[in-house]
Amino acid sequence: MPVKTPFLLEEATEMEVSPVLQWAAFGIFAFISIAGALGMATTMSMFRSGIFLMASFIGVAGLFILLLADLLALLQIMMYIGGMLVMILFMLLFSGDPGGGMMSTHMRLRGPEWFFSLGLARSPSGTDGNNANDSSDKEEDQRDQARDSHQEEGEKEESNDMSMFTPAKRGAAGLALGIGVLLIALLLWRPHWAVVAQMPDPDSPRRIGHLLMDKYMIAFEGAGLLILLGIFGAVLLQRPGKYPDSAHREELRAAVEDAPAPVKTDPLKPLGLDRDREK
Amino acid sequence: MTSVLATVAALLAGVGLTAWLEPKWLGANGERGPASPVKIAADVRLTQPDPWLYYAGPVIACMGVSWAMVCIPFSPSLVGNDVNIGLFYFIVVVDFVVLGIALGGWGANTPDSVESCYRAIAQLIAYVIPLGLAIIGPIMMARSLSTVHIVEAQANAQLWYLIPQPIGFILYVISGLMQVYRAPFLEPFADPIGRGVLSVFGGWKGLLWRLALSGVLFVVAAMGAVIFLGGYSGPFLPGPVWMVIKTVGLMVLMIWLGRQVRLLSVAEMLSLSWKVLIPVGLLNVLLVGGLILLGAGQDPFSPGGGH
Amino acid sequence: MIAIPLTAFLLVAAVLFAIGLYAVIAQRTAVMVLMGIELLLNATGLNLVAFWRFTAPQDYSGQIFVIIIVTIGAIEMAIGLAIMMLLYRRHQTVQVDKYKELKG
Repeated sequence: MPVKTPFLLEEATEMEVSPVLQWAAFGIFAFISIAGALGMATTMSMFRSGIFLMASFIGVAGLFILLLADLLALLQIMMYIGGMLVMILFMLLFSGDPGGGMMSTHMRLRGPEWFFSLGLARSPSGTDGNNANDSSDKEEDQRDQARDSHQEEGEKEESNDMSMFTPAKRGAAGLALGIGVLLIALLLWRPHWAVVAQMPDPDSPRRIGHLLMDKYMIAFEGAGLLILLGIFGAVLLQRPGKYPDSAHREELRAAVEDAPAPVKTDPLKPLGLDRDREK
Repeated sequence: MTSVLATVAALLAGVGLTAWLEPKWLGANGERGPASPVKIAADVRLTQPDPWLYYAGPVIACMGVSWAMVCIPFSPSLVGNDVNIGLFYFIVVVDFVVLGIALGGWGANTPDSVESCYRAIAQLIAYVIPLGLAIIGPIMMARSLSTVHIVEAQANAQLWYLIPQPIGFILYVISGLMQVYRAPFLEPFADPIGRGVLSVFGGWKGLLWRLALSGVLFVVAAMGAVIFLGGYSGPFLPGPVWMVIKTVGLMVLMIWLGRQVRLLSVAEMLSLSWKVLIPVGLLNVLLVGGLILLGAGQDPFSPGGGH
Repeated sequence: MIAIPLTAFLLVAAVLFAIGLYAVIAQRTAVMVLMGIELLLNATGLNLVAFWRFTAPQDYSGQIFVIIIVTIGAIEMAIGLAIMMLLYRRHQTVQVDKYKELKG
């Protein structure tokens, strides 16, 4: 039986790949992962921040493929696409200015903060970065209906200090820079490791599976138990009635559960039609 | 290089077929969802799009579909690349379509498209786990993740996996419909929110959406044909013909079945998924395991046994 | 044979780690802090895989370790979000520097 070529033609056909190509792939993936991480830490828009973190994870997954850990790379992408999208959804629900339009207009940004916030929506009304088109009445209606609870909840407690960063930001930047420089210096100071020249088995998923079900069975089952406990814990924390909800929330719930008034004209007609008429 | 070109050509052919076939008839509700028309001739003018995410959306969705196409076999040799963890790879890269819809919906920055982004993410939570549970059955019987091996295993055993795993097949059809946003699960593209992202993209971006949304239906149907209907194996006719026949058959079946029922909202979808589909999926895994213990499924051929 | 030295991967991981540290300390929203923690875990994972590939490619324990780390990361995210929702209901904010007391 011929040895199957493992995942992704280039990296895996042993010996075949030229060093130039390897370095190019490494450069691209390393750039994606570092730029993504930097964007996550500095952009003003929460949505973009989540997307940048996802890009960073995907870049690291590319590095995993380069290291012939293809199963891990796919696992990483799968976990984090779903996970980060859900996380972004939560962020949008909780924050008053998820699009970052307000912060990017009212604050003076420099360096990466400026770069990664480029082109964020500058809404003239300044309520949120998530504003729609012009302010025709129809659009207004539509906006009210489609606007989600996050804005209503967020607006209520809009504080005047709206930065995304704690006051310790400057110190944190210094600390992170210091630790980064220290780590890099240590790595460059002693760049010799006991490297072996072996190739890993191209059929790594099978090996991992056997290892998981054999030697590391306890860890595997433990992780399963931990996930179960995590589900229980999350559900338990979220059970309703533990803390009184705000009156505002009650209002919203009543509004949601009310029978809708009969509709005469549908304000939510497709946007495209409106736009046609404008022209 | 030839395999790249062949993959793209197959994808384009599949998309053309899907886009021609799908609007042929409408269901009871009359909504077309992702199949509804997009402005391709003219671009849509928006006041405040997010310039990065707006363009990234359709491009990423298209990339996901074309990557998914890579591991679908039309004959033992006619496959982009027989990835040895093919099915897992497929599940992962198809998720990029959701990512694209979320990015494009948020980036367009109109109320309708943002709503579409939220709904698409909620739908992701609904379909991902049942889909995985439906796919586990064939993997267990074929003892391989490679798509070619799964087809060969079915051909060798003279048994489509549809026969021993009808529950898994139904599960795949339902969660596949959720994944491709066709009726009754077309909430992110519903008419009341202006067909979601489709109404705020035009020009080449609209074309890319058409490609991605038709393509995702095609690849999901093709993957269903591979894992449950024996893929390219069949008597008399050559492999690619069988594959196309089965794919189109499954696609028509999925669309037709979906249009027989009323539309479901995302909330109903989530409760259907978590209260019905996931328990049934776990039951299916248990049943398939029992069948394998009883001797069904794999035998001497066992693609993995050779190692 | 892989042309890229081990140190190159470790350098990328070091940079990711530093950025993650910055995010954890400087970000004000609880979700962003969680995201910084994810980045730290990810840098660790990259280190583990790089060491696995270069020093012990026949022993897959390194990859198992990363799988466990990804699992823990997912659980951490779920529990963190649940706690955050609870705190939001209680304090009406998710900004971590507004939580002045631990007692509910």
